[in-house]
Amino acid sequence: MSHAAAARSFPLTSDENVAMNRDTYRNAHLIDTSPQAVEPFDKEWGVGISGNTPSPSPFGRINAILAATPKTTNGFVAPDAAELVTQAYMEHPGEPAVARRAYAVEKILDRGPIRIFPHELIVGCLCCDRKGAPVFPEFGFNWVVDEMRDGLMDYSEKRTHDYFSYTADTQARLERLRGFWDGRTVEDMTNAMVDDDIAKGSHAGKGVFFADAYIFCGAGHLGLEYDRLLALGLGGIRGAIEEGLSGLSLSKPEDIEKRVFYRAALIVSRAATRHILRYAELADGMAADEADAARAAELRVMADTCRWISEGAPRSFREAIQLVSLATTMVHIECNGHSLSYGRFDQYMYPFYRRDIETGAATRESMQELIENFYIKIWDLNKLRNHVLIRTFGNGGIGGPCLTLGGIKKDGCDGTNDLTFMALDAHAHVRLPCPWLAVRLHAGTPWELKIKTANLIRMGTGEPKIFNDDVTIPSMLSSGVEPADARDYQVVGCVEPDPSGKAYGWKDCGHMNIARVLELAINDGRCYSCGPGCPRWESCGAVGGRLGLATGSLADFDSFDQVLDAYDRQMEYWCDRQVAFLNAVDLAHQELYPLPLLSTFMDGCLESGRDVTAGGAKYNFTGPQGVGIGTAGDGLATIKQLVFDEKRVSGRELLDAVTADWEGYEPLYAYVNSDRVHHYGNDDDYADSLAKFAMDTWCKHIERRPNARGGFFQPGAYSVTVNVAHGQNQWASVEGRKAFEPVSDCMGAVHTKRGSHDVKGPTAICRSVTKLDHARATNGTLLNWKFSPGALAGETGRDNFIALMDEYIHRKGMHSQFTVANQETLIAAQGDPDAYRDLLVRVAGYSAYFVELDRALQDDIIGRTSLSFD
Amino acid sequence: MAGIIVNIQRFSVHDGPGIRTEIFFKGCPLRCIWCDNPESIDPRPQLGVYPARCVGRDRCGICERACPLDECPLDYAGGRVSGARRGLCEPGCLACAEACPASALTRWGRDMRVDELLEAVLPDRGFYMKSGGGVTLSGGEVMLQWEFAAELLAACKDSRIHTCVESALCCGWEAARSVFAHADMVISDIKHMDSGRHREITGAGNEPILENLIRTVEAGKPLVLRIPVVAGYNNSEENIRATGAFVRDRLRNSILQLQLLPYRRLGVEKYESLGQAYPMEGFKAPERAAWEEDLLRLAGVLREYGVPAVAGSNVKIRR
Repeated sequence: MSHAAAARSFPLTSDENVAMNRDTYRNAHLIDTSPQAVEPFDKEWGVGISGNTPSPSPFGRINAILAATPKTTNGFVAPDAAELVTQAYMEHPGEPAVARRAYAVEKILDRGPIRIFPHELIVGCLCCDRKGAPVFPEFGFNWVVDEMRDGLMDYSEKRTHDYFSYTADTQARLERLRGFWDGRTVEDMTNAMVDDDIAKGSHAGKGVFFADAYIFCGAGHLGLEYDRLLALGLGGIRGAIEEGLSGLSLSKPEDIEKRVFYRAALIVSRAATRHILRYAELADGMAADEADAARAAELRVMADTCRWISEGAPRSFREAIQLVSLATTMVHIECNGHSLSYGRFDQYMYPFYRRDIETGAATRESMQELIENFYIKIWDLNKLRNHVLIRTFGNGGIGGPCLTLGGIKKDGCDGTNDLTFMALDAHAHVRLPCPWLAVRLHAGTPWELKIKTANLIRMGTGEPKIFNDDVTIPSMLSSGVEPADARDYQVVGCVEPDPSGKAYGWKDCGHMNIARVLELAINDGRCYSCGPGCPRWESCGAVGGRLGLATGSLADFDSFDQVLDAYDRQMEYWCDRQVAFLNAVDLAHQELYPLPLLSTFMDGCLESGRDVTAGGAKYNFTGPQGVGIGTAGDGLATIKQLVFDEKRVSGRELLDAVTADWEGYEPLYAYVNSDRVHHYGNDDDYADSLAKFAMDTWCKHIERRPNARGGFFQPGAYSVTVNVAHGQNQWASVEGRKAFEPVSDCMGAVHTKRGSHDVKGPTAICRSVTKLDHARATNGTLLNWKFSPGALAGETGRDNFIALMDEYIHRKGMHSQFTVANQETLIAAQGDPDAYRDLLVRVAGYSAYFVELDRALQDDIIGRTSLSFD
Repeated sequence: MAGIIVNIQRFSVHDGPGIRTEIFFKGCPLRCIWCDNPESIDPRPQLGVYPARCVGRDRCGICERACPLDECPLDYAGGRVSGARRGLCEPGCLACAEACPASALTRWGRDMRVDELLEAVLPDRGFYMKSGGGVTLSGGEVMLQWEFAAELLAACKDSRIHTCVESALCCGWEAARSVFAHADMVISDIKHMDSGRHREITGAGNEPILENLIRTVEAGKPLVLRIPVVAGYNNSEENIRATGAFVRDRLRNSILQLQLLPYRRLGVEKYESLGQAYPMEGFKAPERAAWEEDLLRLAGVLREYGVPAVAGSNVKIRR
């Protein structure tokens, strides 16, 4: 038995592995050279049990709060913010947008209703109830009142999940605002900027690409610069604003613009301080009325905490976590974006943790309890989404409030510490869909952290996802991110690596169905389903037109190179249009929706005197994703093998077969779906190289395109859940999809109704997927793995799983997420949702309550290849 | 040199330590009634028929056209292929399986050379190294093709790959010795201690098996033993105690682990595809809770004898 093992109070599960990993382990900066969390590092919570456990936390308070926590995304719509914003806009009609925005945010922070909920130790809310949703009229207001009027917001057959409740009073108050926002929203301005040539292939047209994510809501997808926030406090940040203001010249025109920005920043920064003081007063007031002396004392501590952090830099773990929570919540109040992420929690909180442990100011247990309360506060946040968006983004809430753990520090050393373990335990103790957790792994990750991560994943709630420093950091460097910033990356939202607090990255702003691009490439720019049924028929097909670029027909090609060339040119054509659309939306944000409060929390804005929407952040990116890599890759492989190598069918026949949705071509349909055809995901270079071509071509035409903020575009290679929506927009395809089936998800292989195209198991998948160039997808990649619980059971299941991930890391895969659930469990949950309310699953990018998902998405998850180790 | 191989399974994690590639040999001298790999018993290539995958005789009919005989021995029901009168086929033909576009007709068994198998094994070397895994030869019975197995294992060892052989050891010692020369680990099983009963459920007595186990241990080969525990067949405490006594007295407990594995109703679809009846058709397997308890109890009994017994195959093998 090794020395460290002997010193521990709990049994080690595998001495030989400890010994084997000694060298890397010594590099870990762990207190007492071993993780001292509340739970042992190898604590197991069961395999595949997901959230189905009453009272999961060791803390009574947390269980009491959880008992009153809604396990759905549904809450009440709150009209207050919309009224206050409208009022502010009416009072300041002629001022620059950033000033108007500052007045609006100030009004909500000063006058929005605030509450402190039973048992909680950390305060903050979106000026409404838990899971309530404020209304942000600036992006589009009419849909809110229209949906209420038309019965599309509350529960109905048309909206069976992610619905919202509202009172008659709320509806009446919002109806009174109708009309004011006409012609003033981001949606209105975007529509004015794009013509039919740009819009024809978009969500508003034939759905080759989507660019609508930020028309109806803010961009979000970033983290605050928590390091600086915690170092300076709100008062210190205000000092930086004042400094910027005092350094301006009176007469330079650009300085007049900056003055407007700094003044707006001062307005919201002061309002933020007052907002926190309101909580101090509320807590004091509640303490005075509280019969329970212990609770009254807690409330007074909460009041003191708020009073101090309203200005001062935090001095303790409690003050720091309260400031992180409130600052982020206030940014949510300002900005309608989702996936605001919490940065490298274990890194920026560690100095406070360590100080409190060393001085004895707090115990590990008390800090563990605060982290768990903090997680519940994150889950309580919610955003209103329309009935169209929720179809593909089920159980969305505020999107992906990701919290990043582990990984390399700015100085290149491993950063694993006690908080890494505590933050992971906290998820097992609350088992809520938020925050999403990302564990950064690399060649030097301590073995103990891999065990902790594996045990959490095996539980089956879908958390955490794992990211690979060894590919992500070089990928960021290739985008011009400075080395220290690249090492300090966080994961935002579902998938995207991001320099914490330094980038306005417009992550996940749109996506391109590259499988649809292949359709247009080999069919001379026309849709397979071209005909009078199409709404564009009269102005397009009927008059000899076509949707895309005329790149020739597979019926006429006499070499496979012509196919590749057609795909390349077709891709460029669509990327031109997607970039145009996204830049238009971006310009509308700049014009209408500056974010002065967020700007005070981002690196670069106070230095440059520019709002974050106007390119004030240190880095500015725009990140759309390529969707359907497997489908496009298998499509190319099918064409190459069947038409050009085997000459089994002619190009004409293959086109006829898909146009007929395979009706009458059953043997061919079976054949293209069989293992006789080269398919991506089987460690088969023939197919894998074509999937790589499909992805590289997408990257080539998107990467480095200039965006509207002085930065550039970054390609992503994932779908999250939009592979379902893109499939619903697409006719059959040559690799064996029938019309409207989902296209392949993220970096995964093709699954059609006829069967999965990957048949050789996880090592083959790992090798196929890592033949793609993950580092080139600077906006992120994702591979979804699905395991049956039996596959991961026991010590061998755990260690083989870790070895599989180690090899994925070694082979430069960027990012993995995991579903651990029985097919039978998922099917049973579809049949009896009420019995499975707590069944958390990994969707793709995020975890969600399975029964809260759209049926098509549920089916897609059930259809993913289940990797059994048996 | 070529052997007949029925399947290559990557990411096999229950037959030997770590992540492994498992190569299933075709042909077996035993006829265990619970066998879940019936396609590996006959040493010749065989036709598998999967009616559910058939796209229809009228729409397709490629199988009939591929048949070299005047009267195709395939049977059809409801417009789909449903079976085959295999006795009428030309030996080793399988032209229909080669032609079928829908995998409704499949070929079980293919001659493969050592270099072809090595090519299938090498890509996962990174996984073997990360997990302490390697290659496992299984079957069927590896020892029926012992010369080929020895050559294949030697090639794996040349590539620094950990090797494991899973065998019933119902074979001559010469075959076992030749194969073991290149094997880092041996997995075998004791199905019953009573030779008569052993013959009833496997078709052969257990004397050569027990003798080979003793020799394996004497040769110093790391050995993992298994008992496939089947209620009513071999799960009596008497039989388990006899096994424990044998492992203690004759094998001196010099084994790495003894795994008690549950019976599972697997392979039924494969029997159907071969046109064979499932031998345990009437058998009613106990509920999971009952067999889990049974395995844990019997492992306890074996540990009384000092046998390193565990329930299931999820407990790490300490080397």
